[in-house]
Amino acid sequence: MKFFLSYIPLFELALFNMLLAFSQYVVLRAGVFSLGTAAFAALGAYTSAILATKLGMSPWIGMAASLVLGAIAGALVAIPLARLRGVFQALATLALVQIMLSITLNWVDVTEGALGINGIPRSVGLFGMFCAVVVVGYFLAVIGASSIGRAFDVIREDETVAVSLGISVPKYHLIAFILSGSIAGFAGGLHAFSSYSITPNEYGFHMLVMVLAMVVLGGRVSVWGPVVGAAILTVLPELLRGFQEYRMVMQGAVLMFAIVFLPRGIVDTAKNIWRARRVAASEAAKTKAVTV
Amino acid sequence: MLMQQLLNGIVVGSVYGVFALGFTLIFGVNHIMNMAHGTIFMWGAFAGLFVVLTFDAPFLAAVLAGAIGGGLLAVVLDFFAFRPLRKRNAPEFSSIVSSIGASFILLSLAQQVTATRVLRFPFETFPVVILNFMGLRIQLLQLVIVGIVVVMVFGLLFYLYRTSYGRQIRSVAFSESTSKLLGINPMAVNFQVFFISGALAGIAGVLIGIVFNSVHFMMGEPLLLRAFVVIILGGLGSIPGALIAGLLIGIVQTLSVAYLSAGMADAIVFSLLFLVLLFRPTGLLGGATSVARVTRS
Repeated sequence: MKFFLSYIPLFELALFNMLLAFSQYVVLRAGVFSLGTAAFAALGAYTSAILATKLGMSPWIGMAASLVLGAIAGALVAIPLARLRGVFQALATLALVQIMLSITLNWVDVTEGALGINGIPRSVGLFGMFCAVVVVGYFLAVIGASSIGRAFDVIREDETVAVSLGISVPKYHLIAFILSGSIAGFAGGLHAFSSYSITPNEYGFHMLVMVLAMVVLGGRVSVWGPVVGAAILTVLPELLRGFQEYRMVMQGAVLMFAIVFLPRGIVDTAKNIWRARRVAASEAAKTKAVTV
Repeated sequence: MLMQQLLNGIVVGSVYGVFALGFTLIFGVNHIMNMAHGTIFMWGAFAGLFVVLTFDAPFLAAVLAGAIGGGLLAVVLDFFAFRPLRKRNAPEFSSIVSSIGASFILLSLAQQVTATRVLRFPFETFPVVILNFMGLRIQLLQLVIVGIVVVMVFGLLFYLYRTSYGRQIRSVAFSESTSKLLGINPMAVNFQVFFISGALAGIAGVLIGIVFNSVHFMMGEPLLLRAFVVIILGGLGSIPGALIAGLLIGIVQTLSVAYLSAGMADAIVFSLLFLVLLFRPTGLLGGATSVARVTRS
């Protein structure tokens, strides 16, 4: 039990990372190259923190506001971006992260600038985070199994086919952006209420790369992809604590190797192999039956 | 005062233009958004600084070292990050991800090497000579920078549009499989494109390092982010567009730093990017073909 207690912060970090990875996963599954998760998370975290510390509102209102604002921000971003092609979405959302960073750093009256907001009441624990991950994951699994999920898959694999099937690409990209924004906003709110303080630089380029690496490594079709990716990339730095200085090198290398050698990610590759085996096994059983 | 700021803006903007040229060249030929371009810029500045510090080399040698260092690094980057993906015919997204990974590696290596310090070019690398012209104070360095930029741009245009190498590059940009049928080796073309692009970034790195008198591991990031704005504003793959937009962004930024605040400058420049995407996604000089490449049906 003591062993478990000393690792609670690590578990909380892993759960927070899973939520962020879910946000990145939704857009990637729909073939949207959004890198805006960090910006939406910053929006959510600051919304919650400001509501709690300056206006003294309850955490529930704070988190609900984070979620709603994240969704609105996602929808607003989707208006110019849903009609653009992938690389331009990536550039624009990267700029969004930068805009968010310069707002949180420079609008000192509201955001306290580089010092960040401190003294946020801690009101979400490990169990709360766990429930949030389960609820969001289940919600995404249900959506993924519905027609929306199928539309996402078609758009990601081949846009021309999607259009010829009568799927409106901008509409589903809008849905993906809204989902991504609200999940990231919610995650940011949870983070604010579980870590006492938030600073602008937490939600910068480093978070963007880390979250992207999680989803690319884990896989972007199955809901388990972001979970596995986030778990691996949260635990790995702890195991390699002796190589502290090379942590960023390692994260970059994981990203490169994953996209070069495991382009579909761990979970989806494993699923494909498993499926191929089962098909082969049933084929073998059939031929046996015929010969006998 | 206004004229002085405009002049500063033009000098900074022309360097932005050169940096964005390399970025837009790779994008035009290989359809890769090279997110590691900023770190190549930074390592180019390091290469220039290294030559100056160890061999006491003059200004032009530093620029040359920056060009060679940046060019070689870009070729290595292509070999490890993009070639495996090209072989597999992977989608554009893969190359973005892999270049983000590469930029992370290069960034933190630079942080290790410099121990997070800010390095400086020695004071005598370029003599401070100030010319007075119609009430403007012009540094000789500023003139030299604009001169180098002009030479490089015309050199690049000559190379691309007046030599057989340039014809090969343009034909690979148009269609790699067709140019293979015509006996062009795409590998050699990629080598050239990445070397040129890296060299442009490296030169820009040395110039910016000398102008602002600081070389540090984070210096590439703001430039890369500006380069996005520049190439989107200027129009995809358009060389004159990149230059005009580079100058424009340089001026807008210097003016907003001078008259508003440094923090506001970033917000203004990046909001410009969203405005362009909203109202004219093909940029200022985007042609008919770029409409199809930027937007969906």
